[in-house]
Amino acid sequence: MEAELQRVGRSIHAAFPARTRNPLRALDQRAMELAAQDMELRAALFRFVDVTPACHSLDDLARHLTGYLDEVDARPPPIAAAMRMSGTKAGRAALGAAAAAGVRRMAHRFIVGETPRAALRVIRHLWEQGAAVSLDLLGEATVTQAEADRYAARCLDALETLAEAVPRWPARPVLEADSLGPLPRVNLSVKVSALSPLLRPEAPDVGRDDAARRMRPLLLRAKELGAHLHIDMESVDTLEATMELVFDLLDEPELRDSPSSGVVMQAYLRESPEQLDRVIDWARASERRPPAVVRLVKGAYWDQEVVEARQHGWTPPVFEQKRESDRNFEDLTRRLLGAWPHLRPAIASHNLRSVAHAVATNRELGRDDRDLELQVLRGLGDDLAAALAHHGMRVRIYCPVGDLVAGMAYLVRRLLENTSNESFLGEQQRGVPIEELLAAP
Amino acid sequence: MTVAEPVNAGFRNEPILELRRAQARDSLLAALRELDERLPLSVPVLIGGDRGAAEGIDSTDPGAPQRLVARAGRGGEDEAAAAVEAAARGFHDWGSRPAAERAEVLHAAAARLRERRLTLAALQVRECAKPWPEADADVCEAIDFLEYYAQQAVELDHGRSLVQAPGERNTMRYTPRGVAGVISPWNFPLAIPCGMTSAALAAGNTVVLKPAEQSPGSAGALVDALHEAGVPPDALALVPGFGEAGAALVRDPRVHVIAFTGSSAVGLEIVRAAGETPAGQNHVKRVVSEMGGKNCVIVDSDADLDEAVPEIVHSAFIYAGQKCSAAARVLVHEAAADTLVERLAGAVSVLTVGQADSFATEVPPVIEREAQERVLRYRAQASDHLVASAEPVPDEGWFVPPSLVVGLPEDSPVNREEIFGPLVSVTRVRDIDQAMDIVDSLPFALTGGLFSRSPATVERVAARTPVGNLYVNRAITGAMVGRQPFGGNRRSGSGSKAGGPDYLLQFVEPRVVTENTMRHGIPVE
Repeated sequence: MEAELQRVGRSIHAAFPARTRNPLRALDQRAMELAAQDMELRAALFRFVDVTPACHSLDDLARHLTGYLDEVDARPPPIAAAMRMSGTKAGRAALGAAAAAGVRRMAHRFIVGETPRAALRVIRHLWEQGAAVSLDLLGEATVTQAEADRYAARCLDALETLAEAVPRWPARPVLEADSLGPLPRVNLSVKVSALSPLLRPEAPDVGRDDAARRMRPLLLRAKELGAHLHIDMESVDTLEATMELVFDLLDEPELRDSPSSGVVMQAYLRESPEQLDRVIDWARASERRPPAVVRLVKGAYWDQEVVEARQHGWTPPVFEQKRESDRNFEDLTRRLLGAWPHLRPAIASHNLRSVAHAVATNRELGRDDRDLELQVLRGLGDDLAAALAHHGMRVRIYCPVGDLVAGMAYLVRRLLENTSNESFLGEQQRGVPIEELLAAP
Repeated sequence: MTVAEPVNAGFRNEPILELRRAQARDSLLAALRELDERLPLSVPVLIGGDRGAAEGIDSTDPGAPQRLVARAGRGGEDEAAAAVEAAARGFHDWGSRPAAERAEVLHAAAARLRERRLTLAALQVRECAKPWPEADADVCEAIDFLEYYAQQAVELDHGRSLVQAPGERNTMRYTPRGVAGVISPWNFPLAIPCGMTSAALAAGNTVVLKPAEQSPGSAGALVDALHEAGVPPDALALVPGFGEAGAALVRDPRVHVIAFTGSSAVGLEIVRAAGETPAGQNHVKRVVSEMGGKNCVIVDSDADLDEAVPEIVHSAFIYAGQKCSAAARVLVHEAAADTLVERLAGAVSVLTVGQADSFATEVPPVIEREAQERVLRYRAQASDHLVASAEPVPDEGWFVPPSLVVGLPEDSPVNREEIFGPLVSVTRVRDIDQAMDIVDSLPFALTGGLFSRSPATVERVAARTPVGNLYVNRAITGAMVGRQPFGGNRRSGSGSKAGGPDYLLQFVEPRVVTENTMRHGIPVE
């Protein structure tokens, strides 16, 4: 098994596309490298990215940027040059314009378009290249019923827009069926917290019921359109509401046999093994057709979970060592693959070791490659997706859609991930040898 | 994975319950059922270990006024005088014990509160309609005060180091003052009486506690825990009562310190009355007075409204706005005003108003009929400017619909006076300077908030604001012992900071001893 894992890992790695020589991308890469080296600078850049949509002029942008950079002790030469520019109005305008362009460019790397319609060209291109997508609608926090209604309407619009477009896509058999049956071309991921302003950690029922009354019509419409609707997982504060909502809704009579739907398991959670137990028990009991998809991820709210827990004096709900998360990811992968055909597995990771482990384990269990889905994030896992597609694996790219204001929280999370020294991508970019990338956690 | 480890100097806040877990919620509901079977509690006047009658004050559930939560004795002038006499007697023993010994007693009391924390939270839910998360936090804060002041008192006992010259030895020590009269409010029915009482006791004073007439049950539970832990009967008396008992304590010439938290009207009257020094009273009374606020949250044009809206709503409406730190006004930059008002209005209209014993409830009833009438009066004054409110509210109980008013004239009483209820007023400002002018023009200076992502603006507002506690990009309530020492300036308070490193200084007298160490021209040291 370990030998097969190593073999798979190396062959995926060998299929990574050659580094692009786009100069703008090289510039962004340089900014990320600078940020990864210096925590203060990293904080300053993220604070700037975060405030960009709220700035009202180029001058305002430049003032914010220099305000953050002012708090950085050790300034690398490009930053020192920026600070010098900010002394004059013209300099600030130039600096503001350059910085805004930089943020927009980075946003475009992670966000495929402002609306589903605007994203169609990109996602069709991905499909043609051998990668399916799941669309995710970015939004501001939902604090009112009107905002929840608007998000639900955007989800409906996304389903309709995609359903209207996908029949014209060329056939891609790897992406359209596994041994259990067809897989929808239309795939949308939704967030429970965006569907209700009433989600509160100490009263999960209230928010769950309110979100369910908006989720139900979405599921029904997905059923009519033959689309897949995936219910995302967020922080632990909404975990109970989300799980209960999924179990309740998908067991409703009119939703039992479709649409295709699914949930997310976060391997960084200490309680994730018990959660997976619950999901597997539920899936065996419900005999849902088509079976629910379980997307296994590491989890994207690590800092938030740890800070919140430490502020309150709680044991953090997440593993604090990356190695523990990685080991748990492999344990959960094995158990999830073992639950087929009651569940369809989707392994979402940029960690080559985790991906190779999933492929090798699936083969060891005697399953077909096409019964395993691999998922990556737009902007982070593009090379991995290309390599997987090259090997004829089914890969799905999680593609956020939305404007800059709505996308900012998402963008900052992704940038944090991309500049973390411990992240797999960071290691890969630093040229860590393949033996280490594939070493057991 | 790089989140900095917190820095703690030996003190750790008591962790609040993880209420996002069903198990934690169920444990509280079970404690409430168990408590309900024991109601009403009986809270006698307690002086020198003698238990008086437990009648005269009925404490009821603000959400169901026919439910009797506690029957308490009603102390008046005579009881106050007897309690002070006992406390003056008790001071000889308690005041001369080593600081470490007193600290140990307070730690033991903290342990008792910790054992009973579920029941104590349930009691606040019933007695004050304090919602669960707030009630739980109140109990934790009470535990924190005991632990923190115990530790601080031991440290204070070392005194301060002074400049030493050859041939002399200078020492500065702190000694307890004597009898402390503690007059506490109902809104933090355990934490605030506990904070003032434990500070006085830790520093070596004895205490007569006169709790608010609305919450004698919680005060009784506090006094029980302290006595069980080893505070001698003479060192702590409990005199439940109304204003007459408090006034008698303030006047009594044998009282050295008065620690008060409550309304401005009463606080200022205490300052006045305590200033009188009749013949035979050989000390000047020290008054620690924490009073009201008219707390403003400034929202800059670059604020993150995703963050500002929920945090403002939390600051203004949780516990029906009945915290001295609660947000009463929002001063928003005109560039962000329309969006903020629209989103705040939507967020206010979905607030869950209901009984405190439901975890769903965000806005419980206010404490009593008079409070309900007062808030509704202010609300009626602003009715032309009402933009959102969460209605209807239950008929039974002292409910007030949480409300948002926008664009009131600056001189409206709704903008100037403390309302202490679920009503928040939004004012548009041209810029941050205008917002700071408004803050400056108010007589209060307790808490304040700022939502801005500009380091320069944060620095500017922090430098100019008169408030005792400024919160940046977060809610303006929820001060934690040791982390956010709490208290206001101007007419909001005497400037002492509860839960901070200076607080115990209010309860001690500094004494300096200078000894000549020369004997016949020869230094003996």
